[in-house]
Amino acid sequence: LPPPMEAVPCKPLFFDLACNFIEFPNLDDKTGVANKKQGAGITG
Amino acid sequence: MSANKESNLVQAYIELNKFCQSSDYERALKAAGKILQIAPTEQKAFHCKIVCYIQLHNFKEALVHLNNSKHAALAADLQFEKAYAQYRLNLPKDALQTVDSAPELTPALKELRAQILYRLEQYQDCYNLYRDIVKNTTDDYEDERKANMSAVVANLGAINPNADLPQFE
Repeated sequence: LPPPMEAVPCKPLFFDLACNFIEFPNLDDKTGVANKKQGAGITG
Repeated sequence: MSANKESNLVQAYIELNKFCQSSDYERALKAAGKILQIAPTEQKAFHCKIVCYIQLHNFKEALVHLNNSKHAALAADLQFEKAYAQYRLNLPKDALQTVDSAPELTPALKELRAQILYRLEQYQDCYNLYRDIVKNTTDDYEDERKANMSAVVANLGAINPNADLPQFE
Protein backbone atom coordinates (compact mmCIF):
# COMPACT_ATOMS: atom_id res chain seq x y z
CA LEU A 1 0.00 0.00 0.00
CA PRO A 2 1.57 3.34 -0.99
CA PRO A 3 1.89 5.98 1.74
CA PRO A 4 -0.42 9.01 1.45
CA MET A 5 0.66 11.80 -0.90
CA GLU A 6 2.55 14.63 0.69
CA ALA A 7 3.58 18.01 -0.70
CA VAL A 8 7.34 18.64 -0.68
CA PRO A 9 9.20 21.75 -1.76
CA CYS A 10 10.83 21.43 -5.19
CA LYS A 11 14.55 21.72 -5.57
CA PRO A 12 15.31 25.26 -6.69
CA LEU A 13 17.10 25.88 -9.98
CA PHE A 14 20.75 26.72 -9.52
CA PHE A 15 22.99 27.63 -12.44
CA ASP A 16 26.73 27.11 -12.82
CA LEU A 17 27.90 30.56 -13.91
CA ALA A 18 31.53 30.07 -12.92
CA CYS A 19 31.97 27.74 -15.91
CA ASN A 20 31.80 30.79 -18.17
CA PHE A 21 35.11 31.93 -16.74
CA ILE A 22 36.94 28.78 -17.90
CA GLU A 23 38.71 30.34 -20.87
CA PHE A 24 41.86 29.85 -22.89
CA PRO A 25 44.62 32.39 -22.21
CA ASN A 26 45.51 34.90 -24.92
CA LEU A 27 48.22 33.35 -27.08
CA ASP A 28 49.05 36.39 -29.23
CA ASP A 29 52.49 36.82 -27.62
CA LYS A 30 53.28 33.18 -28.40
CA THR A 31 52.07 33.08 -32.01
CA GLY A 32 53.92 36.23 -33.07
CA VAL A 33 50.68 38.16 -33.63
CA ALA A 34 51.56 40.66 -30.91
CA ASN A 35 54.85 41.59 -32.62
CA LYS A 36 53.24 42.10 -36.02
CA LYS A 37 50.46 44.24 -34.57
CA GLN A 38 52.89 46.65 -32.98
CA GLY A 39 54.00 48.01 -36.35
CA ALA A 40 50.44 48.55 -37.52
CA GLY A 41 49.28 50.49 -34.47
CA ILE A 42 48.11 54.09 -34.53
CA THR A 43 51.45 55.29 -33.24
CA GLY A 44 53.47 52.83 -35.35
CA MET B 1 66.78 28.36 -27.06
CA SER B 2 67.94 27.54 -30.58
CA ALA B 3 66.34 29.41 -33.49
CA ASN B 4 64.98 26.16 -34.86
CA LYS B 5 63.33 25.20 -31.59
CA GLU B 6 61.88 28.65 -31.23
CA SER B 7 60.31 28.59 -34.68
CA ASN B 8 58.90 25.12 -33.95
CA LEU B 9 57.38 26.50 -30.79
CA VAL B 10 55.75 29.43 -32.58
CA GLN B 11 54.34 27.02 -35.19
CA ALA B 12 53.00 24.76 -32.44
CA TYR B 13 51.35 27.71 -30.70
CA ILE B 14 49.76 28.87 -33.96
CA GLU B 15 48.25 25.39 -34.32
CA LEU B 16 47.11 25.36 -30.70
CA ASN B 17 45.56 28.81 -31.08
CA LYS B 18 43.60 27.61 -34.12
CA PHE B 19 42.04 24.72 -32.17
CA CYS B 20 41.37 26.96 -29.16
CA GLN B 21 39.46 29.41 -31.30
CA SER B 22 37.37 26.69 -32.93
CA SER B 23 36.74 25.10 -29.51
CA ASP B 24 38.19 21.82 -30.77
CA TYR B 25 39.23 20.68 -27.30
CA GLU B 26 40.48 17.20 -28.28
CA ARG B 27 42.87 18.59 -30.88
CA ALA B 28 43.85 21.56 -28.68
CA LEU B 29 44.75 19.10 -25.92
CA LYS B 30 47.08 17.25 -28.29
CA ALA B 31 48.60 20.50 -29.57
CA ALA B 32 49.24 21.72 -26.01
CA GLY B 33 50.83 18.38 -25.17
CA LYS B 34 53.12 18.72 -28.17
CA ILE B 35 54.31 22.13 -26.98
CA LEU B 36 54.98 20.82 -23.48
CA GLN B 37 57.06 18.03 -25.02
CA ILE B 38 59.29 20.57 -26.79
CA ALA B 39 59.28 23.04 -23.88
CA PRO B 40 58.02 21.60 -20.58
CA THR B 41 58.00 24.99 -18.82
CA GLU B 42 55.48 26.66 -21.16
CA GLN B 43 52.87 28.00 -18.74
CA LYS B 44 50.36 29.03 -21.39
CA ALA B 45 50.38 25.60 -23.03
CA PHE B 46 49.81 24.04 -19.60
CA HIS B 47 46.97 26.47 -18.95
CA CYS B 48 45.36 25.50 -22.29
CA LYS B 49 45.72 21.83 -21.46
CA ILE B 50 43.86 22.30 -18.17
CA VAL B 51 41.11 24.32 -19.88
CA CYS B 52 40.73 21.49 -22.43
CA TYR B 53 40.36 18.84 -19.72
CA ILE B 54 37.74 20.96 -17.96
CA GLN B 55 35.82 21.68 -21.18
CA LEU B 56 35.90 17.95 -21.96
CA HIS B 57 34.48 17.36 -18.45
CA ASN B 58 37.55 15.40 -17.47
CA PHE B 59 37.83 17.15 -14.11
CA LYS B 60 39.77 14.31 -12.55
CA GLU B 61 42.58 14.55 -15.07
CA ALA B 62 42.65 18.36 -14.73
CA LEU B 63 43.07 18.06 -10.98
CA VAL B 64 45.73 15.34 -11.23
CA HIS B 65 47.84 17.63 -13.42
CA LEU B 66 47.26 20.67 -11.22
CA ASN B 67 48.21 18.71 -8.10
CA ASN B 68 51.30 17.10 -9.62
CA SER B 69 54.28 18.52 -7.71
CA LYS B 70 56.32 18.42 -10.91
CA HIS B 71 54.00 21.06 -12.35
CA ALA B 72 53.82 23.27 -9.25
CA ALA B 73 55.32 26.30 -10.97
CA LEU B 74 53.03 25.91 -14.00
CA ALA B 75 49.94 25.49 -11.84
CA ALA B 76 50.67 28.34 -9.44
CA ASP B 77 48.43 30.87 -11.20
CA LEU B 78 45.59 28.45 -11.94
CA GLN B 79 43.72 28.54 -8.61
CA PHE B 80 40.42 29.22 -10.33
CA GLU B 81 40.76 26.22 -12.64
CA LYS B 82 41.82 24.03 -9.72
CA ALA B 83 38.95 25.17 -7.49
CA TYR B 84 36.47 24.69 -10.34
CA ALA B 85 37.66 21.12 -10.94
CA GLN B 86 37.36 20.40 -7.21
CA TYR B 87 33.87 21.93 -7.19
CA ARG B 88 32.76 19.74 -10.08
CA LEU B 89 34.26 16.65 -8.45
CA ASN B 90 32.06 17.40 -5.44
CA LEU B 91 34.94 18.43 -3.19
CA PRO B 92 33.48 21.76 -2.05
CA LYS B 93 35.65 22.00 1.07
CA ASP B 94 38.84 21.61 -0.93
CA ALA B 95 37.50 24.02 -3.52
CA LEU B 96 36.81 26.70 -0.90
CA GLN B 97 40.30 26.27 0.49
CA THR B 98 41.78 26.71 -2.98
CA VAL B 99 39.70 29.84 -3.63
CA ASP B 100 40.73 31.38 -0.32
CA SER B 101 44.40 30.60 -0.93
CA ALA B 102 44.42 32.75 -4.08
CA PRO B 103 46.25 36.06 -3.70
CA GLU B 104 43.28 38.03 -5.03
CA LEU B 105 39.53 37.36 -5.17
CA THR B 106 38.94 37.93 -8.90
CA PRO B 107 35.38 38.14 -10.31
CA ALA B 108 35.72 34.53 -11.50
CA LEU B 109 36.78 33.33 -8.05
CA LYS B 110 33.95 35.31 -6.46
CA GLU B 111 31.33 33.70 -8.69
CA LEU B 112 32.75 30.25 -7.96
CA ARG B 113 33.01 30.99 -4.23
CA ALA B 114 29.28 31.77 -4.10
CA GLN B 115 28.48 28.44 -5.79
CA ILE B 116 30.76 26.58 -3.39
CA LEU B 117 29.09 28.22 -0.38
CA TYR B 118 25.73 27.07 -1.78
CA ARG B 119 27.03 23.51 -2.07
CA LEU B 120 28.31 23.78 1.52
CA GLU B 121 24.87 25.01 2.61
CA GLN B 122 26.36 28.21 4.03
CA TYR B 123 23.39 30.12 2.76
CA GLN B 124 23.77 33.36 4.71
CA ASP B 125 27.39 33.89 3.55
CA CYS B 126 26.34 32.81 0.08
CA TYR B 127 23.50 35.33 0.01
CA ASN B 128 25.78 38.17 1.14
CA LEU B 129 28.33 37.31 -1.53
CA TYR B 130 25.68 37.17 -4.26
CA ARG B 131 24.41 40.60 -3.22
CA ASP B 132 27.93 41.92 -3.67
CA ILE B 133 28.36 40.18 -7.06
CA VAL B 134 25.00 41.39 -8.41
CA LYS B 135 25.80 44.96 -7.40
CA ASN B 136 29.18 44.94 -9.13
CA THR B 137 28.52 42.85 -12.25
CA THR B 138 27.04 43.64 -15.63
CA ASP B 139 26.93 40.63 -17.96
CA ASP B 140 24.59 38.35 -19.90
CA TYR B 141 23.84 36.11 -16.93
CA GLU B 142 21.96 38.48 -14.64
CA ASP B 143 18.75 36.42 -14.85
CA GLU B 144 20.54 33.19 -14.01
CA ARG B 145 22.29 34.88 -11.10
CA LYS B 146 18.94 36.12 -9.83
CA ALA B 147 17.65 32.55 -10.04
CA ASN B 148 20.62 31.41 -7.99
CA MET B 149 19.90 34.09 -5.42
CA SER B 150 16.27 32.96 -5.17
CA ALA B 151 17.52 29.42 -4.59
CA VAL B 152 19.66 30.70 -1.72
CA VAL B 153 16.72 32.61 -0.25
CA ALA B 154 14.46 29.55 -0.58
CA ASN B 155 16.97 27.53 1.39
CA LEU B 156 17.34 30.27 4.01
CA GLY B 157 13.57 30.28 4.39
CA ALA B 158 13.42 26.49 4.69
CA ILE B 159 15.92 26.60 7.56
CA ASN B 160 14.34 29.52 9.37
CA PRO B 161 10.72 30.20 8.37
CA ASN B 162 10.60 33.27 10.64
CA ALA B 163 13.62 34.95 9.06
CA ASP B 164 13.18 38.36 7.52
CA LEU B 165 13.73 37.29 3.91
CA PRO B 166 14.17 39.53 0.92
CA GLN B 167 11.25 39.64 -1.51
CA PHE B 168 11.50 38.91 -5.22
CA GLU B 169 9.10 40.24 -7.78
